[in-house]
Amino acid sequence: MAELGRAALVVSFGLALYALVVGAYAARQNRRRLAVSARNALFACFGSTLVAAAVLASALARHDFSFVYVWQHTNRTLPVGYALSAFWGGQEGSLLLWLLVLTGYGTLSVLLNRRLLRELIAWVVPVFGGIAVFFSFVLVFVASPFDVQSAPVNGLGLTPSLQNPYMVAHPPMLYLGYVGLSVPFAFAAGALLSGRTDERWIVATRRWTLAAWMFLGVGQLLGAHWAYVEVGWGGYYAWDPVENAALMPWLAATAFLHSVMIQERKGMLRVWNMVLVALAFELSVFGTFLTRSGVVNSIHSFAKSPIGGWFLAFVVISSLFSVALILWRLPLLKARTKLESALSREATFLYNNLLLVALCLTILWGVLFPIVTQLVQGETRTIGRPYYDFFLRIFGLPLLLLMGIAPLIAWRKASARSLVRTLAWPIATALVAGIVLIAIGAGSSTPGLIAYTFSAFVLGTIALELVRGTRATGSLFVLVARNRRRYGGYIVHAAIVLLAIGIAGSSAYQTTREVHLKPGQSARVAGYTLTYRSIDPIVNDPNRTGEYAVLGVSGHWHGTLRSGDVTYTGFDETDRDVGIKTDWLRGEDLYVIADFSKGSNAVFFDVLVKPLVNFIWIAGFVFLFGSLVALWPDAREQRRLVTRFAPARA
Amino acid sequence: MTTLALVLGVALAIAAVLLVALPFLREPVTRDDRLDASTAEEDARLQLVEERDRALAALKELEFDHRTGKIGDEDYRELIGPLRRAAAHALRALDDSGEAPAGTARSMSEPLTPTPVPEPTPPPDEGTPPTPAPVPEPSPPPDEGTPPVPDPVTEPSPQE
Repeated sequence: MAELGRAALVVSFGLALYALVVGAYAARQNRRRLAVSARNALFACFGSTLVAAAVLASALARHDFSFVYVWQHTNRTLPVGYALSAFWGGQEGSLLLWLLVLTGYGTLSVLLNRRLLRELIAWVVPVFGGIAVFFSFVLVFVASPFDVQSAPVNGLGLTPSLQNPYMVAHPPMLYLGYVGLSVPFAFAAGALLSGRTDERWIVATRRWTLAAWMFLGVGQLLGAHWAYVEVGWGGYYAWDPVENAALMPWLAATAFLHSVMIQERKGMLRVWNMVLVALAFELSVFGTFLTRSGVVNSIHSFAKSPIGGWFLAFVVISSLFSVALILWRLPLLKARTKLESALSREATFLYNNLLLVALCLTILWGVLFPIVTQLVQGETRTIGRPYYDFFLRIFGLPLLLLMGIAPLIAWRKASARSLVRTLAWPIATALVAGIVLIAIGAGSSTPGLIAYTFSAFVLGTIALELVRGTRATGSLFVLVARNRRRYGGYIVHAAIVLLAIGIAGSSAYQTTREVHLKPGQSARVAGYTLTYRSIDPIVNDPNRTGEYAVLGVSGHWHGTLRSGDVTYTGFDETDRDVGIKTDWLRGEDLYVIADFSKGSNAVFFDVLVKPLVNFIWIAGFVFLFGSLVALWPDAREQRRLVTRFAPARA
Repeated sequence: MTTLALVLGVALAIAAVLLVALPFLREPVTRDDRLDASTAEEDARLQLVEERDRALAALKELEFDHRTGKIGDEDYRELIGPLRRAAAHALRALDDSGEAPAGTARSMSEPLTPTPVPEPTPPPDEGTPPTPAPVPEPSPPPDEGTPPVPDPVTEPSPQE
């Protein structure tokens, strides 16, 4: 059936090209039937891509090794779930997923807005078409998942590090986020091309942006948890270029989600919002380029391939297109009002935007630095963790503080007196928290102490907002239901605070020790006594071989932990399996990495005690909940918007 | 298998072509093939509607901020007047654009006959309030509250 997959991709390419060329012509020449025809081509492009995806999924499920892709990324011993996850385990499948999600998003967003924004949609279709042309071109002519061969008896298998439940969900989540940022980009570009730069494109894409941002955030946390349990170095985020590639568009989208509120309320920052939308989209494509090109060293090196040049060309062309478009339409993007006071909600949003974008660009520079040094000096120089940690503190801590201040400042203008009065309780909360933390010995890390004090301040602010709002409306439920975006946002703020607490706790207050134990010997680390008991080999597992060191643990917790080396069928390299015990009452993890490589019957163990690290994972659930609250449709709002925009018949 | 794949591939291509050609198959000949573009009056009206919603939402935000203590009484008194004037201005401009003949929709930047602006309502903690000022009920900020009274609208008829 590879022929069907190939044919479907060729049809997709043709349809995308039609949507681009004919759609642009129809919009330019004001031709209705042609515009509808181009729109239908985009819908059909989704259909034919879906057929191609079904062919690949079917081949993966059937272990059809006549497909080179299936042979490269699966084998017969691989469980079905992981075999299907190989869809995004390799490059060609990932690109097919990109195209599928893109055309799916495009179809749905155009379908939902086709009546309300007819004039704008005529330009949105060719923009989606243009992006789809690139991906379908790469899939048809450069990296096809439907190359065939004489079927071998068995496949090469899936990269061992990808054989983890988190890797089943992490890549699709990231793709839903990356590709989701195409929707605001396509509508923003459509607004600029059509000259309809009023707020319709923002209203139409508000939830799409939020959804993409949510997927990107959840995807990153899933990836962080995968790194924590699978990679075996004791951390969850290493400032790896490919990790940064997902963080950068998320930061740009976060800035956009805040600044767009100023445009909605004040008609300001119209150029800035266009820039942020374009930046978020370009960074999402750039992220795919980083993952796929192998241009920088990364733990994601399994994804290296020669298609980087095509991606780079696309990033450059689409960036130039965005800049030219914004410059062309600058006269239409003039602000309608001015900032009334430096002490106002909109001003704090502006500061928040500057900090977010500064952090994003700082990370971008860190990612690009090895490429730049290679080009300029002929040798690759990388930027290490201290650089990123420094700027995370420089920009992140003020951001945390702003998250506490902004909700309590009124729109338009606030006097210093009313601000001090409003902030009195959160400041008192922060001071008490700081004093208590110093008293219990948390003053050993200044950044940690600042992060916790600021976190207490933000939590105090959120609590105060909820209490006052509930008093004003009479019910917490009514308060949240009437403004889901605001209060969903506060829940997300609470998630960020939990994240900050988790990061500060697990990095600033972590205990690390390396111990060398023979069977029967013990070591004591941060209140835990670990006794090396025995070696436990893996038996009767066709997919894996290896052995685990078994440790008896007493002290804060009683039980056994296993950590060892595993080799997967078909792969030479050894994968390190770590032992983790979570103590929810103490809020910490005991994390053990066994190293058999140093000879004799003794084993080296890296023992880490990581306080509050689980706040990071809890933050993920809170983040998801807050995002869903903000996303939840509001029927009254929809009716109001239909009423507002219907007379324009655009 | 190859034949079946080819047949399915051709069927897929035919279905795609039919879907793309559908607008022309449905309407081989049409008197009006132009995109349903909005007129200058409609664009001006939309801008006024946006201004109105923005002004009314700002009023509502101010009231809420005052009730929740983010804005003191003094700041509230200072801010409420200009906001009410802006809201009244937006409503009046919108009314005028609805009554005026096509093409004469007034821009927000054009001067209008001054609207009598009521005194600001005192904050809730300041004793007995005077008779409420005749200011229209603010519309909610984009995500909350009761929607403004819609202008009479006719649902656009689908043309495809």
